[in-house]
Amino acid sequence: MPGPIDYSKITIVPDFDTAEWWAGTKQHKYLVRQCKACGHKWFPPFPACNKCTSMELTWYETAGRGVIHSYVVVTQPILSAFVEAVPYVVALIELDDCHEADGSLVRVAGVLLNDEAEVAIGLPVTVVFEHTPDPNIVIPRWRISGTAEDTWKFTE
Amino acid sequence: MGALTDKYCIVGVGETPHMRPSNRTTFSMACEAVKKAMADAGLEPREIDGMTSYQAGDSTSSSHVATALGIRLNYSLDIVGGGSSTEALVAHAIGLLEAGYCKVIVIFRSMNGRSGRRMGGQAPSGPVPPVRAEGDAQFYMHWGWTSPAQWFGMSAMRYLRDTGTTTKAFAEVAVAHRYHASLNPKAIMRTPITIEDHQRSRWVVKPFRLLDCCLETDVAAALIVTSRERAYDLRQPPVFIMGGTARTMAPNSAWNYSRPEIHYVAGNYGRNRLFGMAGISHKDIDLISCYDAFTFTTLIQLEAYGFCGKGEAGEFVKGGRLQIDHELPCNLSGGHLSEGYTHGISMVIENVRQLRHRVDDACPGWAEGKHTYDRAAGCRQVKHARIAACLGWGTETTSSSLILRGISA
Repeated sequence: MPGPIDYSKITIVPDFDTAEWWAGTKQHKYLVRQCKACGHKWFPPFPACNKCTSMELTWYETAGRGVIHSYVVVTQPILSAFVEAVPYVVALIELDDCHEADGSLVRVAGVLLNDEAEVAIGLPVTVVFEHTPDPNIVIPRWRISGTAEDTWKFTE
Repeated sequence: MGALTDKYCIVGVGETPHMRPSNRTTFSMACEAVKKAMADAGLEPREIDGMTSYQAGDSTSSSHVATALGIRLNYSLDIVGGGSSTEALVAHAIGLLEAGYCKVIVIFRSMNGRSGRRMGGQAPSGPVPPVRAEGDAQFYMHWGWTSPAQWFGMSAMRYLRDTGTTTKAFAEVAVAHRYHASLNPKAIMRTPITIEDHQRSRWVVKPFRLLDCCLETDVAAALIVTSRERAYDLRQPPVFIMGGTARTMAPNSAWNYSRPEIHYVAGNYGRNRLFGMAGISHKDIDLISCYDAFTFTTLIQLEAYGFCGKGEAGEFVKGGRLQIDHELPCNLSGGHLSEGYTHGISMVIENVRQLRHRVDDACPGWAEGKHTYDRAAGCRQVKHARIAACLGWGTETTSSSLILRGISA
């Protein structure tokens, strides 16, 4: 497991478009934006539906599960918050329940609770909510939650 | 051919040295670069009436630079942007010139990219105050996913998986650009490297090693665009602008890669416009610049702009194809990997010098276009350099490009 992330070194500033998303993580919900008019889902919470341009929006509570689409292994920290965390894996996660008939999909990212040795493209993951010193900010992270047949790992 | 093909030219180029650190302001460096570009073109300050620049909140303004140099502008604009901005501002300049907003326009980029604002973020040393995570950053910052290496590494990793390419293909790019830097007296990193050197260099963020990553330097560079009629009277052989694209986007360009194929990058959407406007095909291209923030960004744009098929770039670059005297010489100055870092403008400037046949290398007669083509003696002029493509990269979802030709084409 990677070392701890010092969240006191990052000041998250929610805004008009994102405040409800942060309210969601506080209640351990992984939300994505949804269009009231056509049902389309997207993330990050941009302020209009990119299929029908409606600005009448709601939130869809995902199951917080997905598949690792890609990943990077950070060995050199950039932010002081991550000095103790390296090496850590940032995974790009394709959410299970946001696929639409026309191929549209939602990917999110997050720091895995697993080490590089365990990660592979194709593995399933589940969200884990991590509390921070700020009671209003809860951060979603991800844990490998099973196995898969078609996986790929960077072995160099 | 496009309605404006060959109607406008790049007539002057200039830059400061690449420094680490400069111990200067971006204002001072910008003045030097613009002054050198004017001198190169043989233009006086009173003949310049347009100026634009691009920056990331880290630079000076066109109005400051113009005022310092005694230039009165009819048009000025400073835009936000990094890679892919140069080619886009050339397109913008053509529109301004065509519409009559100004007659001679300077484009510059000045940055303390090493000692000032670093694109990959500041190294955390000692007690650092909390960083504010606003806008898009409020999502990716707490994921420790904040630098171009970390972002582009994500599409690079998936690319390796989807195509079976290995990082030896990245190494081919690093080796080629470094070889060119070894022929460039201005370059920071001039010692040639091998594939093995690349493979042995330390990891920065997997799948990128140190030798996959561009340099950070303090530098300013400038170029000047005007009409061909004006260009004929100036000091240098004109370099004609045949066509281009300006910040072409891929669909759904949010930072979280929610496109079906994450390594199908913006150049794929600009390719036909670029070659259509220029009225030429790939086989007419003698040399290219291809934005090398990372080795991978060069590689993936070879596919995007159609120099090879999807997934074939690894095979394509094997055996030194991107090196001078081979099929498709790329980033002849050494690029951002080995010459220095300018957010793209130095790559366009190098192509201009190549097309003039006046590359500033070790040949004593370079300024008069006399080159030996003796690589061992430090000549980096491409033989028969007639047409060049400049392939700019901002992100996977933003790209700009140019096709330029010299007078012998």
